Amino acid sequence: MTVLAVAVKYLRGRAVASALTALSIALGVSLIVASVLLTRGIKDGFVEGTTDYSLVVGAKGSPTQLVLSVVFRMDAATPNILMRTVRDLQHDARIEVAVPVALGDAYQGFRYVATSPAYFAPFPWRRKTFALAAGRFVHDDAPDRPSYEALVGSEAARRAGLRIGDRFYEGEEMAEYPLTVVGILRPTRSADDHAIYFSLASFWGMNEVARKMQIKPVTAVLLRAKRLSDLPSLHRELNVSTETQAVFPSATLLTIFNLLDVVEEALVVILAIVAVVVLLYVLVSMYGATLERKREIATMRALGARRVTILRIVLAESATLAIIGGVAGIVGGHGVAYGGASLLASRRLLIANPFVFSGLEPVVLASVILLGTLAGLLPAVLAYRTEVAENLAPLS
Amino acid sequence: MVARPAVVLRGVKKSFPLGDGNTLEVLDVEELRLPARSCTVLRGRSGSGKTTLLNLIAGIAAPTAGTIHVDDTDVFALSEAHRDRFRADRIGYVFQTFNLLAAFTALENVMLSMMFANAVPRREQRRRAADLLTRLGLAARLSHKPQHLSRGEQQRVAIARALANDPPLILADEPCASLDLRTAREVLAAFLTTCREAGTTLLIVSHDEAVIGEADRVLDLPEINRVASRNGPRGALDR
Repeated sequence: MTVLAVAVKYLRGRAVASALTALSIALGVSLIVASVLLTRGIKDGFVEGTTDYSLVVGAKGSPTQLVLSVVFRMDAATPNILMRTVRDLQHDARIEVAVPVALGDAYQGFRYVATSPAYFAPFPWRRKTFALAAGRFVHDDAPDRPSYEALVGSEAARRAGLRIGDRFYEGEEMAEYPLTVVGILRPTRSADDHAIYFSLASFWGMNEVARKMQIKPVTAVLLRAKRLSDLPSLHRELNVSTETQAVFPSATLLTIFNLLDVVEEALVVILAIVAVVVLLYVLVSMYGATLERKREIATMRALGARRVTILRIVLAESATLAIIGGVAGIVGGHGVAYGGASLLASRRLLIANPFVFSGLEPVVLASVILLGTLAGLLPAVLAYRTEVAENLAPLS
Repeated sequence: MVARPAVVLRGVKKSFPLGDGNTLEVLDVEELRLPARSCTVLRGRSGSGKTTLLNLIAGIAAPTAGTIHVDDTDVFALSEAHRDRFRADRIGYVFQTFNLLAAFTALENVMLSMMFANAVPRREQRRRAADLLTRLGLAARLSHKPQHLSRGEQQRVAIARALANDPPLILADEPCASLDLRTAREVLAAFLTTCREAGTTLLIVSHDEAVIGEADRVLDLPEINRVASRNGPRGALDR
């Protein structure tokens, strides 16, 4: 027999109470792990899904709305700017690439994004690469010759069930302008997976107002400056203009993270309270169990068990409960996070895969074992101090 | 030849504090010697201090005054940790109410004693515990928990537990008091036979004539306890 075997025997002896204590630990740990994973997943999702371009240029308005709609497709599109602005920027000597983007309606919830082939081009400075799972990219149509060809993001194709050659439209008024799938993209782990792309000419052709406009509209322009040192002047000039604003995507990301940090701080307080409640439950459970068996503890002492052996038995019990609850909580927390991430992803929220085990898990498990064992310290000291003779008195 | 004493008490007093600031004197023994390998029966009425005397010899309760030697070791000169170890190694204790641990099987109850003493190698503990229980007629009850054993079987497990570390001294507090006559005889025969084979010194608190009949010596506690003589008839035997 070992101290651990004795501790496990005692835990099995009060199986229901032990199971409930382990379950309470598991629930607490699940909540903490799931919250941390989801928060991290959301942040990572934003980082992974952000653009490689230095500036997003759009109509005057909310900079956060502009970035959220153009880069993350999580907000309504800002008002349009004119294609003339795009041309001017494309001819600006300081700019390497200026890619127009027009946001339209959606098919089964998957956003229409009209753009030029440059949007998918593999520039050397780009982190993100667009690769085809099937078919081909959309051609850059002449403004008066729209092809109505569509390139579909991986998730949009999977969930909407679109395949190469499919023709589709949403709403009877669009029946005259059905889109034909000519390509399907590989996953990019960004909002681009949830979009349906076509040419600007197709976009203008499908839009009744745009059809009549001499100077065509777009929602925004993605800019890449040739030199970083040119960015401040470009940013300033485009913001001084009465029509446009220029936004650094990283600045908007920082704003989003600051908002998330506030939520995270509130979450930390709630999770700390949960942890304290769970620890108190473990303490009360172990304390009650120790009080109930003071006579047995006295018997063990009479048989020659040292005080420190009794202390170790009670601590081993609480540590065992903490290990069982901790491991179950980590596995359960990943399950909850995975379910939560799937739910959020189905609602178009960018979220990195939270089911990946990382350095978090050993830290959480070690903390749970340490705190769970500490919660057993008071009952262990009570057991340690049990007086033998007075607790061995014959039962009446 | 006079056998070397296994237990020697000199000037041992034990009193308990009362809530009103006074103390209750329970024991005052000038001298008591138990020869090695002997079987001594201790008698006395309820509340006369028999269990207290056993607890003092076992080192479970400390005397208010005096010294207690077991196998030439002054029990209370040892640190508490050493006294615990000494008790585990050298003294077996059979409680009046058995005090088996409910979460453990008969086999594990016996093995626990070995775990505390750490005298029997871990891999041999199971075999030795099974041998002891088999000798006491419990071969078919090894994996039974105390609540699934009869009182006679429980008492035999308690005896096996006391014998587990092959101690030179066993203290037994009315080991047959709660058993029916037939069971008591069976348990006693097994207990005494095992102890005699091992050469164990026995101090048994009992009023059972069968136990007294097997003893080398019978001690009436009131005769050695000066508290009883000071308090008069209260110290009379309860036979």
